[in-house]
Amino acid sequence: MTEGCFVTSAARAESPSPIARRWPHVGLATKQAAFGYAILAPTLLILGIFRFLPMLEAFVISFTKYDLIHPAQFIGLGNFIDLVQDPLFRNSARVSIIYVVFSVLPVWPLSLGLAVLFNRSLMVKNVLRSAVFMPVVMPAVVMAVVWTFMYQQDGMLNTVLGWFGIDPIPWLRSSSTALPAVILIGIWRATPYYMVIFLAGLQAIPAEYYEAAEIDGAGAWSGFWNITLPLLRPTTLLVMVMTVIVAMKVFAVPLIMTGGGPSDSTRVLPLFIYQTAFEFFDMGRAAAMSMFLFAAVMLFSVAQIRIFTRGEQ
Amino acid sequence: MLAIVAMLYTQAAAAAPDNFPTEKLTIEIWWHEYGPFTSYVKELIEAYKKVRPNVTVIPTITSSADINQKLTVALATGTGPDIMDNDASFYSLYYTKGVLEPLNLDVFAARSYPEFIARYTPGGLEAATFEGKVYALPYQGNSMSLFINNRLFAAAGLDPVANAPKTWDDVIALGPKLKQVAGNRTVHKSFDFPYHSNRWEVQDFQPLVEQFGGKLLSDDGKTAAINSPAAVKALQLWVAVTKAGGDPRTTMNTPSNPNQDFVDARTAMYITGPWATPQIQASPAVGNDFTVVSLPQVNPAQPHTLVYGWMWGVNKAKPAAEKVAAWDFVRFMLAKPDEWLGKVGFVQPVLGVAQSDVARKFPFFDVHMKDVSTGSWYLRSEFTNEITQAIGRAIERVVYDGADPKASLDQAQAEVEKVLKR
Repeated sequence: MTEGCFVTSAARAESPSPIARRWPHVGLATKQAAFGYAILAPTLLILGIFRFLPMLEAFVISFTKYDLIHPAQFIGLGNFIDLVQDPLFRNSARVSIIYVVFSVLPVWPLSLGLAVLFNRSLMVKNVLRSAVFMPVVMPAVVMAVVWTFMYQQDGMLNTVLGWFGIDPIPWLRSSSTALPAVILIGIWRATPYYMVIFLAGLQAIPAEYYEAAEIDGAGAWSGFWNITLPLLRPTTLLVMVMTVIVAMKVFAVPLIMTGGGPSDSTRVLPLFIYQTAFEFFDMGRAAAMSMFLFAAVMLFSVAQIRIFTRGEQ
Repeated sequence: MLAIVAMLYTQAAAAAPDNFPTEKLTIEIWWHEYGPFTSYVKELIEAYKKVRPNVTVIPTITSSADINQKLTVALATGTGPDIMDNDASFYSLYYTKGVLEPLNLDVFAARSYPEFIARYTPGGLEAATFEGKVYALPYQGNSMSLFINNRLFAAAGLDPVANAPKTWDDVIALGPKLKQVAGNRTVHKSFDFPYHSNRWEVQDFQPLVEQFGGKLLSDDGKTAAINSPAAVKALQLWVAVTKAGGDPRTTMNTPSNPNQDFVDARTAMYITGPWATPQIQASPAVGNDFTVVSLPQVNPAQPHTLVYGWMWGVNKAKPAAEKVAAWDFVRFMLAKPDEWLGKVGFVQPVLGVAQSDVARKFPFFDVHMKDVSTGSWYLRSEFTNEITQAIGRAIERVVYDGADPKASLDQAQAEVEKVLKR
């Protein structure tokens, strides 16, 4: 064979065709991944511009003294050091922690309980579910205004308490009751939302597991403890992480209902950040507070995920 | 008399500057929502179209609680309006930040700032003047006087004129007679301090401190005396008045409706401004059945009251032609102080207002003007928000939590000193 008429396999291996040289072989998995990224690209771009870029800018601003009007002035860790020593910041952090703990802890069992209830066959289940879900669809501002009226001396809550011979409580006007009043709204609004998430998780559990357990003589409580809870673990983790993140960011309700008072008893950290930025025009300090909040949320979320996944292992 | 009334129209009569822009212009104006105020400014915008057909005025209306934030963010990003509306106490901040355009003397046909300032009542432009130049114009420079519900007084066997309190001790003494409770439920209070906003708390607290011979802030806004002996006495008096007046925790007042308790006859006495008159007159619970007397005093022989107001300012960052048009529209808006009084209840601190027919017919206008004449402007500082919040917190700690007044004010003083050092 002459090399002039034929291209031997050896020759082909040494010298691939021009087309093969331009286009390397791409596996199916890589193609699928690339397609996925292409689909995600617009969303990632929007997230990058409207979420991550502002976060990065806030991080940079946290090291400056900046009042919006004059150019920012670099001050290093000045804002962070000042905040750690600031009683107002420490108070806001304390109020936020109290809010998170007492608004989140009841939501977990309440939302799970409601989900278990609505997972059964109930009369007018759909109507009841819609009614229970109303707090979620109500705009936060409307909800805050309505509850402000309900908390008044002659509002609905005190009227009901009056039926039982209980004196009116100055819900929003006492530093000992204002925060519990705001927490109650947080629980009322969050419970139905997470009920829906738990419900989805419950409906994904095959009925056969419960049937098999029943055959083995397991009761309802045993079925819940040994089947429902373990299989709901991923959903529970999601609910736990989300409830904490959302509770840490609460803002509209204390802003509208109490403005952070009385006596700073409801000045949660997001509200204090807003006031520092847009009432005091101290953007550097506000940004530094945001970094503290961000770090707290990240630490907590990572810790929760680690605890849960370690348990699974 | 005619000469005095004619002075009212000085600004309207001022000749338009020869070099008023002739090209088509659009100017933006932002103001805070208050029913009668919004209606009147919209009327003025319509009327201005006939005077200056080449100028279009675009309004934006925001709640009073939000306008400061909205304005400052807009000014920082270069998207602010041509004409801004804000509480007089914020103009120190805006002047410091360099965003205000000085008043255009040509537009107002004035030869100098001192000549222009002389058109106003003594101290009328104090909050708007920095280093001898005028940077804003008040459309209201109101007193804060004591409003009395005649029906509640009569129900307690009292006469709203003869038994009207002149001193704070009088207010305390009226407490048991006027306050009405049913069990542990407050039906109506005798007297109510405001608790719906820190700014309103300071509005009532500042004159109390001055009545005891103190001052919350130095005139240059750089030194605070929040915990002075006068302030401590003022806060102790505040507590005594509150205990006598009724449970402060039952208030229905909000930043949007700061007079709600009085309008609903939930309190027999309340401190507010003449601008509340239209709202009170329209309320079924009070109507025209009210009396206004001067702010109660510690020592009636040495009265101290408060002047409080909002002002129009012009944005320095706008093009020259727009700034001329902006000042011209401000001039146009403020040309008829008697209309501001009659339609909105706002008193412009300009000479001649008190002698107008509208003023003579305005309920208790003489009382309002008397309180203006003995008034100091609301405290002004680059850090007004931080200072008012610190003082408001101090008051609430004492009223709601039973804290010691001196200790609470010491805490506020420390917070304010830290802010002033920034």
